[in-house]
Amino acid sequence: MLELKRTLDAKGHGVLEMPSGTGKTISLLSLIVAYQKAYPLEVTKLIYCSRTVPEIEKVVEELRKLMEFYTKETGEKNNFLALALSSRKNLCIHPEVSSLRFGKEVDGKCHSLTASYIRAQHHSNPSQPVCRFYEEFDAVGRQVPIPSGIYNLDDLKDFGRKKGWCPYYLARYSILHANIVVYSYHYLLDPKIADLVSKELAKKSVVVFDEAHNIDNVCIDSMSVNITRRTLDRCQTNVDTLQNTIQRIKETDAAKLREEYRRLVEGLKEANVARETDIYLSNPVLPDEVLQEAIPGSIRTAEHFVGFLKRFLEYLKARLRIHHVVQESSPQFLKDIYEKVCIDRKPLRFCAERLRSLLRTLEIADIADFSPITLISHFATLVSTYSKGFTIIIEPFEDKTPTIANPVLHFSCMDPSIAIKPVFERFQSVVITSGTLSPLDIYPRILDFRPVTMASFTMTLARTCLCPLIVGRGNDQVAMSSKFETREDFAVIRNYGNLLLEMSAIVPDGIVAFFTSYVYMENIVASWYEQGILENIQRNKLIFIETPDAAETSMALEKYQEACENGRGAILLSVARGKVSEGIDFVHHFGRAVIMFGVPYVYTQSRILKARLEYLRDQFQIRENDFLTFDAMRHAAQCVGRAIRGKTDYGLMIFADKRYARADKRGKLPRWIQEHISDGSLNLTIDETVQLSKHFLRQMAQPFRRVRPAPFFTRFS
Amino acid sequence: MAALSEEVLLVVKRVRQRKQDGTLYLMTERIAWGPEGKDRFTVSHLYADIRCQKISPDGKSKIQLQLVLHTGESTTFHFANESTALKDRDAAKDLLQQLLPKFKKKANKQLEEKNKMLQEDPVLFQLYKDLVVSQVISAEEFWASRLKLSSVEHSLSNNSKQEVGISAAFLADIRPQTDGCNGLKYNLTSDIIESIFKTYPAVKQKYAENVPHNLTEKEFWTRFFQSHYFHRDRINTGQQDIFSECAKQDEKGLKSMVVQGVKNPMVDLLSLEDKTLDEGYGSLTVGPNSSKTVKENSNSAIIKRFNHHSAMVLAAGLRKVDAPSDQASETSSTDGNSRDSDFFQPPIKKVKLQEAIEYEDLQNGSGPKTIALNLKKSDRYSHGPVPLQSHHYSTSQDIINSVNCIQEEISCYKPCLTRVMPSSAASSAITALSPGGLLMQAGTQQAVSQLVPTDVQSELKHLYTAAGELLRHFWSCFPVNTPFLEEKVVKMRSNLERFQSTKLRPFQEKIQREYLSTNVRLLLLVNL
Repeated sequence: MLELKRTLDAKGHGVLEMPSGTGKTISLLSLIVAYQKAYPLEVTKLIYCSRTVPEIEKVVEELRKLMEFYTKETGEKNNFLALALSSRKNLCIHPEVSSLRFGKEVDGKCHSLTASYIRAQHHSNPSQPVCRFYEEFDAVGRQVPIPSGIYNLDDLKDFGRKKGWCPYYLARYSILHANIVVYSYHYLLDPKIADLVSKELAKKSVVVFDEAHNIDNVCIDSMSVNITRRTLDRCQTNVDTLQNTIQRIKETDAAKLREEYRRLVEGLKEANVARETDIYLSNPVLPDEVLQEAIPGSIRTAEHFVGFLKRFLEYLKARLRIHHVVQESSPQFLKDIYEKVCIDRKPLRFCAERLRSLLRTLEIADIADFSPITLISHFATLVSTYSKGFTIIIEPFEDKTPTIANPVLHFSCMDPSIAIKPVFERFQSVVITSGTLSPLDIYPRILDFRPVTMASFTMTLARTCLCPLIVGRGNDQVAMSSKFETREDFAVIRNYGNLLLEMSAIVPDGIVAFFTSYVYMENIVASWYEQGILENIQRNKLIFIETPDAAETSMALEKYQEACENGRGAILLSVARGKVSEGIDFVHHFGRAVIMFGVPYVYTQSRILKARLEYLRDQFQIRENDFLTFDAMRHAAQCVGRAIRGKTDYGLMIFADKRYARADKRGKLPRWIQEHISDGSLNLTIDETVQLSKHFLRQMAQPFRRVRPAPFFTRFS
Repeated sequence: MAALSEEVLLVVKRVRQRKQDGTLYLMTERIAWGPEGKDRFTVSHLYADIRCQKISPDGKSKIQLQLVLHTGESTTFHFANESTALKDRDAAKDLLQQLLPKFKKKANKQLEEKNKMLQEDPVLFQLYKDLVVSQVISAEEFWASRLKLSSVEHSLSNNSKQEVGISAAFLADIRPQTDGCNGLKYNLTSDIIESIFKTYPAVKQKYAENVPHNLTEKEFWTRFFQSHYFHRDRINTGQQDIFSECAKQDEKGLKSMVVQGVKNPMVDLLSLEDKTLDEGYGSLTVGPNSSKTVKENSNSAIIKRFNHHSAMVLAAGLRKVDAPSDQASETSSTDGNSRDSDFFQPPIKKVKLQEAIEYEDLQNGSGPKTIALNLKKSDRYSHGPVPLQSHHYSTSQDIINSVNCIQEEISCYKPCLTRVMPSSAASSAITALSPGGLLMQAGTQQAVSQLVPTDVQSELKHLYTAAGELLRHFWSCFPVNTPFLEEKVVKMRSNLERFQSTKLRPFQEKIQREYLSTNVRLLLLVNL
């Protein structure tokens, strides 16, 4: 709280590591809300970004409790407006549209009912279907602001149903004057969405990124583009459609195109003015310089632009027709494209903006169909805008299957700071927090910002409810490690199996085991099956396994919880960096033990990663190994940290790899885990582990009495 | 013949029973034997009555089959046809083996229940011994009222008792053994078979379709183990394999489970991500992985199988529990599955959310839960029961008056010491009245319990409960308003008399012989 207050006072940014389950969310919320109440002019808005939808909803519920407490204690109703914002899929109440299963379909369908020209057509032709909720909202929804209160996603839907307004647009409109907004990272970090949603958020806001240990990857993902042969083929059809539409419109409604031309000549001045007056969050895809100029003449008319796109497309196709791997920087690419097809840098930079304008003019109904061409246009803009921080890798085939041609052009962002820069620049305080941010100093470096506070908190515990153990060898003294050289070793696999088997016999309820990668898990499961280890485990517990298919995994997860719930006990085999490790908590009996098989290093042979490591080394002076270890350890910590959520919770954390004992690995674990690793538990055999675990579990299973007050944060170093 | 409508499954001629030649018939519901030349059965047992069958060892000269009934009686058949005796016996045995289990459950259920009741309740057991074994009343009579009585409480206790689930490793328990000549032997027990059926309804269906008609049981299981279905890494099951269909069905089941989705929104990975990146963005592409090797494919098949297997085992365990509440869950599940589930989903979601953000230990007032005292009339609680007849209400004036009155009386009270009993007389009276004293010597409980040895005491207790039971039967017939009850009353009366004659008299005499002092009480009891 102290650190947070300091951060807010200084109007700077902060990095805070707080152990999970100690009330991170509520601490942040209560202090910032109190601050907002005390200095309503200093901090006008809290933007709370979390990662997953359940996470978002949890935050709002906690906030609701806080507000109830305020009302109870002060006796007055406070006029805070807090709301959650999510995608259309989670907010739509249109009976037809909301029944669609995938987010993209919902977006597309929604667009086809609410686009401005569709609505214009509806005026002249009432049979054209429109969304009545949107119409209603558009007619009256904006006049009166939504009454103050706490609105979770379901509350928004209920409110929308009651009023007959579209909850999605209502929420999007309301975040502008809400005191607290809770939404997902993407609304701030993904330039495509941020531009639509978060552009006008007030500057005097506090932004909190919760569960931010992966924030750099989110940034990178939002700026990277992959182009395959299939994308290009679909682009081709897009371009053809565009051409035909232009032809048709030219015959019927030439005025429209002329109007567009006029607008383009006037340029993007409007946007420029807005940004200078500091109303808009800047969009990294739309660089500042672009705004000051008009769209170049060569792509101003619709036909010219389509011709331009065609040329660009042909060029990309030619580039994909290669037989060896190519890696080049943006300037190299630009030079090449100029030489080959005479495409200048300047028009490329306007590509995204120009395409958007064209699509609007042409009244394209289904935007989703045009995602390939939009993708290409974004690529064009990005590649021509940033000469640094990006790399282009063209791979003619996948590494595993050199015979099957599957050319991919990776345009990958290597600098996460590009995407997050506007956020740091615009908002007065940005707080990055998570249960596992160690080592702290690396985040400011890779995100390129200067925090005023950096702190790692440990927790005071009523009892030592976590028991991290490092298992280094099997009972046969063979070292256990997922090191590349030994990972396929029969003895290692068998020892891993024995460890799981022994644990399955002594740990009650649920065990979660994480593997370093999906392929590795598949192999191990197969060989365990052949050796009969799985059968023996099945005598103790049911086995559920994560698969690459999300739906299947969800089912397995639910069954896993069911099995833990009804006392059978179960084991969930899962993958670090997988969906389960990122988003699911294993509270109480859902995870009495977490076993981390091996150190979850990222696949180091990928060229993209290599390029990124190189970039980090050159730009930020971060050594490759440091970064890799950091990345592996944060994922390991993330995995084992899933088990502890709260004071009464307890869990074993078993690191099954001898390498964890090394200081450089151990030192990168979060403090709150590190301080419980005793020197005696650094290189245990399976038997010793079982003994220690038994002891621990027996102690923990005693009824929890309230001996000491609830834990609070203490400053660690 | 009464059995004309029955289907005769097996006829074995030349079977001896009590040294008499005859023919053995195995019908759908019973086994019967008739002596040669006569067309009626002298022996006939319903399968439900048979507890087990025994056969004579292979080496023996007489080839016999013994049926042991639940009542403890047994019937022995001697297969006397020299050439085919062994074959005949085996045929009969095999058929019985198949038939008996079907009926066993039905019959056993009640029997087991009775057995369990007796085991759980020692008093009842003693009663049973006293009344039934000594043939005071018949077993049926004994149970007739008992079962009815206990069915209510029994069903209660039944509910609270858990079904035994299925071991997840039941397939692993079938350890194949090599039989020495290039083959494998699997040992199947009926438990395992049941587990397989419960977990994989598809196999059960196959079994039902094929077994009696197309295949023998043995063949069926041989094929089961041969089939790729059993081996989880099956990839391409042959068409001729009867289990390929099962595999397909399983796959379908798995798919439908997946399509159904999960009800708990907290674990739904599909809706976890708020905004997925559009196709083509992102640093990692998970392209269509068509280029998987065969090995990888089989690996992922194993993983799928494990998930499915575990889910099925879990489901099989839960099926029973769910059965009574099926009605409710069915409606809710259909609601949950349809996509316009907005009206259904929020409650679950709310609950889960609340669960996620609430910490029990942070709640106030988490002290030990006490049960609130629910008083209908709190004044009665605080004053205790008041005799109802004192219904004339006294006014406050009355009370004051009476209090004054008493006060006056007390104030003028003077102990009249001269008229008091001498203290020695008083103390002697007290000693006489206390236990062991002159007056109390005759019949105090304490004295009896000290005088009578424990075995006699317990016998007395048993007799007392038995008598009570009989009397309960007796009195339960009143008021006598049906001829049936009348008959029962008469029967019970005779039962009582019999009880008196067989049990009480001997006891009485015994007691009289030994302890004269206690007989008064006993006679009192007996002549009740």
